[in-house]
Order: sequence, then C-alpha cells, then structure tokens
Amino acid sequence: MKTAGCLILLLCLLANTQAQPKKPATGIVKIFFNNRINNHPVVLNDSTYTNPFGESYIIKKLKYYISNTVFYSGGKPLRQKNRYWLVNQAIDSSLSIRINLPENNYDSIGFLLGVDSARNTSGAQTGALDPLNDMFWTWHSGYIMEKMEGSSPQSKIVNNKFEYHIGGYEGENSALNFINLRLPADKKLSIQKGKMSTIIITVDINKFWDSGYRLTISETPVCSTPGILAKQIAGNFSKLFSVEEVTN
Amino acid sequence: MKIKIIISLLLIVLTGTSFLYDGPPKPTYLKLTIPRGWPKPGNNIFANNPLTEEGFQLGKKLFYDGRLSKDGNIPCASCHQQFAAFSTYDHDFSHGFNNSFTKRNAPPLFNLAWMKELHWDGAINHIEVQPLAPMTAKNEMAETIENVLKKLNTDTSYKRMFKAAFGNASINSQRMLRALAQFTGSIQSYNSKYDKVKRGEATFTMSEEQGYTIFKASCNACHTEPLFTDNKFRNNGLDVNKSLLDSGRMAITGNTADSLKFKVPSLRNLYLTSPYMHDGRMITLQQVLEHYRSGINISQSTLDTLLKKRIAISEREEVDLLAFLYTLTDKDMSTNKRYAEVVTYKIHEGPH
Repeated sequence: MKTAGCLILLLCLLANTQAQPKKPATGIVKIFFNNRINNHPVVLNDSTYTNPFGESYIIKKLKYYISNTVFYSGGKPLRQKNRYWLVNQAIDSSLSIRINLPENNYDSIGFLLGVDSARNTSGAQTGALDPLNDMFWTWHSGYIMEKMEGSSPQSKIVNNKFEYHIGGYEGENSALNFINLRLPADKKLSIQKGKMSTIIITVDINKFWDSGYRLTISETPVCSTPGILAKQIAGNFSKLFSVEEVTN
Repeated sequence: MKIKIIISLLLIVLTGTSFLYDGPPKPTYLKLTIPRGWPKPGNNIFANNPLTEEGFQLGKKLFYDGRLSKDGNIPCASCHQQFAAFSTYDHDFSHGFNNSFTKRNAPPLFNLAWMKELHWDGAINHIEVQPLAPMTAKNEMAETIENVLKKLNTDTSYKRMFKAAFGNASINSQRMLRALAQFTGSIQSYNSKYDKVKRGEATFTMSEEQGYTIFKASCNACHTEPLFTDNKFRNNGLDVNKSLLDSGRMAITGNTADSLKFKVPSLRNLYLTSPYMHDGRMITLQQVLEHYRSGINISQSTLDTLLKKRIAISEREEVDLLAFLYTLTDKDMSTNKRYAEVVTYKIHEGPH
C-alpha cells in the first residue's frame, strides 16, 4: 500500500515535469497605421484639407478598430484571436500595435476592420472595447467600427459638422470588412527570435471620399446608423490600406 | 506510521500557509433557479459573469443609487419600481432628467435570463450593456459613464463591495455593468398562483380554470407559457401614435417588414404593470381586451397574421379570462425583500 502511494506520487511528479511544452521562439512585429492625407500625417483640428469633390474640411476625430489579425506563411494562416485595437489619431501610442509571432517568414497579413459580430453581442467589455472609448452605441447595441468627425463649410447641418459613425455587425447590415495585404515580394516579414520587425501601413484618408462610393459632405454630412449607407462608407474605408514598408 | 506523520506534518504546513495567504476573499457563488418545466435560457447571461451573492448585492446597491444619474434623482429604480413588478406604476411614460419624459412605457423586469433582446424594439443585444442606454439618454438618467465611475470611486463602501464581488477594489465600466446584470438578471417571477397550480400546490377556481382554457385557445400563441411571451416582435394592430411616430423594430433592423412591430410583453404580473402597450395608451385590461376584440387596425400591412381576424372573446369569457390573468400576479416577487433597497437609517441623537 505504502509503495503504491509513493509510486503514484512519483508518477505525478514525473508527469508534471514532462508536461511542460517547449516554448517556440518568438519575435515581435510592430504595425504602424499611418493615417495620411497627401503623404502627410493627418493633423486633427488644425489642418484644412480638400476632398476630391473640392470640399474643404477639417478632421476632429479619426478612430477605427483593428481585430482578428492573421499572418500568412505560404498560404498557411496564423490567427490572433480575442485581440482588439482601437487606432485613434488623437493618441500617438494607439497608432501602432504589437504582436508576438513565432519565428518564420510571412508573405501576407490580414485583419478585420472593426469588431467581429461575436464580440458585439458578448456584453460589457474592457480595454479597447470599453464603452468609455465612445465607440459603442448605447441606444442600439453594437460597436462603431470607424468614426470620422469634423467640419466643412459645405455641410449644411448644425455647426457645419460632418459625422460618420460607421457600424453594423449582423446580416445584411454588416459593415465589417476583412482586409488582406500582400507584403512586397522582396521584403517579406521575417520574424526572428527576440527581434522586432515593423510593418508600416499607409491609410490614405484622402481616398475615403471616393473609393467606390461617392461621399460628399454637402449631400451626406451624417451617417450614424447601420444600413446601406454605412455599408457603402465602410466599403470606402476598407480601401484605404496599403503596405508602405516592411523592416526586419 | 511514518507516512501518517508525514501526511499530518504536510497538512499542518498547508493549512498554516493558507492562513498566511492574504488573497481576495472568495465570493459566494449562486445559481439561477430554472423552475421545473421551464425551458433552459437560450443563452447563459452569466456565462462570463459568474453570479455571486456579492455581485448581486453590489448590483442591487447600484440599481437603487441615484448617483448613476446626472442630478442624483433618477436611479434605475425610479422607472423600475418593485411594487409594479419593476415597471413604472401608473405612468404611460416615465420621468427623466430635467422634467423630460421617456418615449416608451417602462417594461417590467423579471425573468430576463430568458430574453435574448431587450427593450420594446430589441435594440439591446445583451443584458450587460442595457444600462448604458438609460444612463446616458438625455431624457432618462442623462449622465456619462465616466462621471458615474468617478462618483462611485469616491465612495469607500463601493470600493469594499467591488472588492468583495470581483477580487479587488478596481471600479470600471465592465464590473459596474456586470454587477447590475447580476441583480436584474436574478429578479425572477415563478411563484404566482398559476405557478402554484402547475406545481400542484394550489387549485384554480372554476372561473380561473375556464379563463385558462380561453387563454390557451386565444392568447398562448404569442404570450406563450411558461414565460407568457414568445419574445418575438409582432405588430398587434395599434393605430400609430401620431405624436411619437414610433416605427418599433424597424428602427433597429432597417427592414420595412418590421414596421410597427414591438416585443411581445410577458403577461406575468400584468395586474401590477398598468398602463399597457409600448406607449402606455391603455389603462385597464378591459381596454386591452376590447382592442383585441374590436380595435385592431386590420389595414396595417405588417399586422400579425394571428390577429387578422381579431380575437372573439365574449363578455362572459372576458370575466373568466381576467380571473385567470390575475393568477399570474407574483407577490413573492413584488414584495420580496431580497430585491428591495437596503435602507440604513441613521438615528440622530438629540440633546439630553
């Protein structure tokens, strides 16, 4: 009896020490989202821009969600689940995201522009998804995927405002877009143990007004509900992203 | 013998260290009651928010606390009064900040664990995020979540209660919302006379029994037992209220087929929840039955197919039906101290 007990104890100890899996070697990729207009970083409040329709405007808020990132190596996807980032032009530290990746070469990346439907219906959240970030609709549950606010003399509404709060996560009203970006053939992402690589993504805000859907401030200064208009504007937003540079 | 000594030594060491470990106190876990014969809730509202006594008590304190509103006067409980089954008694619309009115009749709160969508139009997709709507609405509590958290943070009793419920004293929006969900999601109604009859603890009078038969034939398709709602959105043929022009579910889905549809309310406790309908336009149940008998606007294109022929209820049947509906009143819920505000009285001692 005694020996049996000792044996079980010993086995448990052995199993415990052997159960530790080998940690794969990992490095870091830092992805910068450079929100730009005419090759210059977007300046909130103080710069006047002109859209392709000749409408002048200033931007006061520019925020959007990135989630469900994927890194492809020879077509094989590596997904990062349950991570959500709010890119906010007003907060420098939010303009880049860091992800740990196993050592490997990656030839393309993908991400969801917005918050997936499952997380939209999972109750109160924290961090980037905290309702305090002013990106959650209180009157109609769901996240605002992209938000751009500002003013323009062409806007006929109060205080010459424009406000695009783009959301909708279910069925026909889904404003979610998944974005795949191929990395330059000669400049793949090469993750090495303990090192940091960077990807710079240009987000060309100038294209926001006319990338498939013609959005003029004079005609459409506001969108704040899910639906066809929100989908069209979300479609425009999804076409702003391109890889500018990869550094290993 | 040796082994015994070793084991007892080990035990002494283990128990000894557990006294030294000054970790968070363990909360008392609770389980939602699923009454016999009821369906299981479609989705577990407490899946990410384990129900505990400490969380429930914190949620209750928040529910009755006016500081969740801008001027301190409008707690959740101002529109959701326990004696009215957590609806607003005798009000078509409820009072909000700065003498404003809400735009719909405050729904009662009970058996929320069985509801997938909340509000008359199903705008809210999870019980945890529901309080964000009334707290921030200009015609309700009119406050910002930032300000509420600031106010809670100045109150040491909240710090103590957040620690008891969630392990440490940190107060954030998620914890506040989850505590509120623990309280409101725990309000249950299953002890009406109807329930007791179903459990074999009471018997219907002859009139109630006949009313039950009429109910099953004419009402149960939408107000389905045992919740007395199918939780679907339907147009019951009310004329459009011209001063509200409330399109109901359509405002949420953007689908014209959802025009004038509202959530089917539970009939439980309906003797406590007057007035009736989404805009509180009817004061008495007689008016409600008269609507189904003769008032349904059958020209509306989205009118529910079950109501196209209206509902034939004779006056004799109406008496029995009302007698049955009264058996859905659950005083165990509406007077239960467990759901009531904890009031601490301070006795001021005068000069001797």
